[in-house]
Amino acid sequence: MQFEMIDVNKIYEASADNKVYGARNINITISDGDFMALVGPSGSGKTTILNLIAGLILPSSGVLNHGGVDITHLSLEERTRHRLESMGFIFQDYQLLPILTAAENIEFPLQLKGYDQQEIKNRVKWALEQVGLPEMGNRFPKQLSGGQQQRVSIARAIAGRPELILADEPTANLDSRTAQEIIELFLKLNKEFNLTFVFSTHDQRLIDEVRTVLYIKDGQITEKRTHHV
Amino acid sequence: MRQFLFLLKFSYRNLWRAPRRTFIMLMGLILGTGFIIWDLNFANSGSREVMKDFLSQYAGQYHISQKGYYSEESKKEFNNYKTLTDDEIQDKSLFPLSTQRVTAPVFISGEKKTLGVLLTGLDVEKEAKLTSLPKATTIGRFLDPLGDKEIILGKKLAQRIDAKLGDQVVVIGQALDGSVANDLMTVVGLLDFGGGDLEESLAFTQIHSAREMMSMNDNQYHIRVSFDMEDETLPDLPDLQVTSWHELLTEISVSLRFIDNFTWTVTFIIVLVISLGLSNTLMITFFEREQEFQTLNIIGARTNWIALSLMLEVFMMGTMAILGGTLLGHLFTTYSYYYPVNIQLFTGGKPIIMGGMTIVPLVRIYPVMEYYWKVPLLVYFFLGLTMIHPLIRVIRRSQNAI
Repeated sequence: MQFEMIDVNKIYEASADNKVYGARNINITISDGDFMALVGPSGSGKTTILNLIAGLILPSSGVLNHGGVDITHLSLEERTRHRLESMGFIFQDYQLLPILTAAENIEFPLQLKGYDQQEIKNRVKWALEQVGLPEMGNRFPKQLSGGQQQRVSIARAIAGRPELILADEPTANLDSRTAQEIIELFLKLNKEFNLTFVFSTHDQRLIDEVRTVLYIKDGQITEKRTHHV
Repeated sequence: MRQFLFLLKFSYRNLWRAPRRTFIMLMGLILGTGFIIWDLNFANSGSREVMKDFLSQYAGQYHISQKGYYSEESKKEFNNYKTLTDDEIQDKSLFPLSTQRVTAPVFISGEKKTLGVLLTGLDVEKEAKLTSLPKATTIGRFLDPLGDKEIILGKKLAQRIDAKLGDQVVVIGQALDGSVANDLMTVVGLLDFGGGDLEESLAFTQIHSAREMMSMNDNQYHIRVSFDMEDETLPDLPDLQVTSWHELLTEISVSLRFIDNFTWTVTFIIVLVISLGLSNTLMITFFEREQEFQTLNIIGARTNWIALSLMLEVFMMGTMAILGGTLLGHLFTTYSYYYPVNIQLFTGGKPIIMGGMTIVPLVRIYPVMEYYWKVPLLVYFFLGLTMIHPLIRVIRRSQNAI
């Protein structure tokens, strides 16, 4: 299902005469199976764009069209439901719930979706296998390394087979070897299951692997590059 | 249901994510709840036990008399001419635990002095079964049911009029027919009420002797005093007057009400103080997890889900505390039942005199069922209040996830 940002602006008003553009005239189309990166220095606006796509913040103007639904017209609770139904998230610092095991962390959004127990069990098993941690389901996050936690975070994002997976600096907290493994995992998931990924990143290794790179500066897309990987 | 069980598991795990902190909070609540239950049981059953002991000495739980026997304005004043017979009481089931009395203000003269006292004619056998008056007769003996014109006096009274065992005293009053009633009575016993005022103002004789002196018929009496009152419910006798001890002994009744209300006030303050402390701890606990609430919202948990999980967390803690606290309070109450509390602990060892009589200082504390649901409700209520502020902040924060 296609996601479109059409003429999207996000303005932060610190005061009446002090307006800051978090996003300016953004037009992006994300298609099924895309593997896209938003690249730019800190404060350039890439996380703002990621948050707009997720519906975590609303634009000051413009349209966020996801499969024919303008999510700017949805209420807060409807946007939360929309995220649950169609998006997965991967965080820089993993954001696993420390009181739940790896399997229960993956199970969490599936429970919210209301899947039956067998379906949840199958999906958790599948997700853990995909990220290479089939035997680690019973471990709590503190019993896992950083790389393993990020893998669980990825498993949580993909278990519901969302239409769109948003990843905010997913390799920033990892050592280079682990980061490389995680990038390979993203590539595998994209190729094997046609999962759609949008990253915000500084990591050149990841930038080299994506098909579309959008360079962001001062809230604007300054350049778009397409790789044929 | 399955989703709710997951929510329950999530909340329970969150409750124990900082085990030491939760343990301290829980112990605070358990001890607080336990103490409150014991304290209320102590105040309530303690005062009831004390009153039971006091009322069983002489006053009784309620009096049945003719309407107008006791003055409306003050139950300390009575109209001696209003007499009663058993024929006028329809409900005969009231008799086994009540006794007939004839009361009259009289003058009693000894060797030295004449003093005004309240003479009570007693159905001796019945009194011996229902009251502890025979036990209070520490010098000499109690009245002989077959005897005639015997009198027992309060110790202080005997001292003041200089009457000793075996002495004859003159009793002068007014008979029902308006004539002067007088008689000679023999002192057979002295009453010890622990030095209270009643020792100076009470005298007792056989009911038939009192009737004879007062020119009353054999079946006439003034009041029927009952020593049994279920749930403070008075019998319904439309043509007669039923007067509860609360009206007869207003000062004592007001004091007890004061103790009850004061205990509840202290209870409220204790729970409030615990709640304020708890609110602060909850706020810190929740704010430490703000980032997590945002994450939950991002991955699809709605605000009400997050709020509900927090409420469940506090509800579970409250329930554990209430169960533990109630058990603890009940254990202490049971212990204090089998090992009665000596309330002279609170008087520095001095005897406790109530209404002119010394009461037994050992008080059995028994469970009062209403506290076992009122206290938990109170704890839940205050827990609910402590949640309001943290919850509003949490909801606001999770809504502004980014």
